[in-house]
Amino acid sequence: MKLEVVSRSGRVITTLDINPDATVGELKKKFQSYNRKYYVARQRFTLPVKPGETRGTVLSDDAKRIADYGVSDGGRVEFKDLGPQIGYSTVFFWEYFGPMVIYPLFFLFPKYLYPHISAQPSAHALVQQAACAYWVLHYAKRIVETFTIHKFGHATMPIANLFRNCAYYWGFAAYVSYFVNHPLYTAPNETVSKAALGLALLMQAGNLRSHIILSNLRAPGEKDYKIPRGFLFNLVTCANYTFEIWGWILYSIAVQSIPAFLFAAVGAGQMTQWAIAKHARLRKTFDGKDGRPKYPRRWIVFPPFL
Amino acid sequence: MRLTQAYLALYNAAQAVGWATAFGSLVYGFIQEQSNEQIYDRAAPLIGWLQFASLLETVHAALGLVPSSPLSALMQWGGRSNCLFCVVQPIRALHSDVYALVMLGCWSAAETIRYPQYAAATLGACPGWLTWMRYTMFIPLFPLGTMAEMGLMAAALPDLARRRPYSLDLPNKWNFAFHYHTFIQILLFLYPLLWWQLYSQLLRARSKKLGGASKSAKKD
Repeated sequence: MKLEVVSRSGRVITTLDINPDATVGELKKKFQSYNRKYYVARQRFTLPVKPGETRGTVLSDDAKRIADYGVSDGGRVEFKDLGPQIGYSTVFFWEYFGPMVIYPLFFLFPKYLYPHISAQPSAHALVQQAACAYWVLHYAKRIVETFTIHKFGHATMPIANLFRNCAYYWGFAAYVSYFVNHPLYTAPNETVSKAALGLALLMQAGNLRSHIILSNLRAPGEKDYKIPRGFLFNLVTCANYTFEIWGWILYSIAVQSIPAFLFAAVGAGQMTQWAIAKHARLRKTFDGKDGRPKYPRRWIVFPPFL
Repeated sequence: MRLTQAYLALYNAAQAVGWATAFGSLVYGFIQEQSNEQIYDRAAPLIGWLQFASLLETVHAALGLVPSSPLSALMQWGGRSNCLFCVVQPIRALHSDVYALVMLGCWSAAETIRYPQYAAATLGACPGWLTWMRYTMFIPLFPLGTMAEMGLMAAALPDLARRRPYSLDLPNKWNFAFHYHTFIQILLFLYPLLWWQLYSQLLRARSKKLGGASKSAKKD
């Protein structure tokens, strides 16, 4: 069948002749042969906006037939260039690799990174050593998870996100590390620090287990939303974030440094935003009608507050 | 919605009157050929109050009364307030700096257009020329005002290095240090990037609002 591909301003880009049973993925491959610059991950097709809609339906499922979206011979689809794309796991790797390497720099090379401080202690406090190990372990865990556990909903993201995300993670890593490893660092009560970091490690374990549960929700090829169950998920929708937030709060208590608390706060804020959206999506999908289960009453992300 | 509509119209009208007065005060002082410092010192208190009150706009956004992002509103308010209250106000020498007057002049000129446009739009009665002014005058005023702010922050650096206001040194039990002087240096570095983000957003809004034919003007 023939499809008219237009830009979002209505200008006709090209006409493609494709198999009536073609999937969205096959359409994208065909479009790429029209213009090599637009590799598949960069293409987005939408149906023209219908009356009453603000945006056209996105042809989001590459495995679905175009015909199943209601497109027929002579129909038109709108093309949008999503810009240069980069793989999710590539972004995750770099945004986690930075902190893993940057934080220890301040621990290992104080004479170079604090050249303005002449009198420097000969050894680090126990909490500084433990905090450094915890931090590196945390990001190493994240990298391993990226390549072994996480299943990403999308394959790519716009390349600008790489720089934005790395600026956030790398910036905060340097900011926190600078103060925690400072020659003039004042160590808090050692017992409190040990207890806090010990608990933080448990939170990391909880976070890891949560990630494994989430990863197992969908069988390969499944695309639908599932209700997470088991472990803390029975009580909290985004239990993985709960453990992560607690981990950073406990780290901050262990090191008693305002930049650490700031990092925890900003991270918690972002995770809370994501959690609210996810919780709303699950409640909307699992409304209890037409044989669908009803989403159970749960905390969103951080009992007893939200 | 009628109550919030009335409230917003009132708020915007009050700001409009305030900023118009401030602008008038600057023009009056200029015509009377007063010294820079005199002009600044007469306009600054009123502008200080108007700027402080505009923190409400963050609240409006947070409550959903207006479609703007509360974080964006807070950041813009913070940027201006930092410049006015924390940098320029405490340093007497800057009151006679021409940049200070350029800054106040650009702010009051822009606000004398923006607030009436908001008030009129809230009441659904915004004339086309006012919308045009709102979405056009920012083109010269915004960069000029931003350059003035940057110039003032740069001029303040020696004084800030000496006086060290709002600063905390190590060691302390919170393991935190803050040097306002360094903060302003970093801010000066980031200012052009932050400015460009807002400026390009406004340019895009302009082509949407003024590009199409008779669309009813909306707040950004």
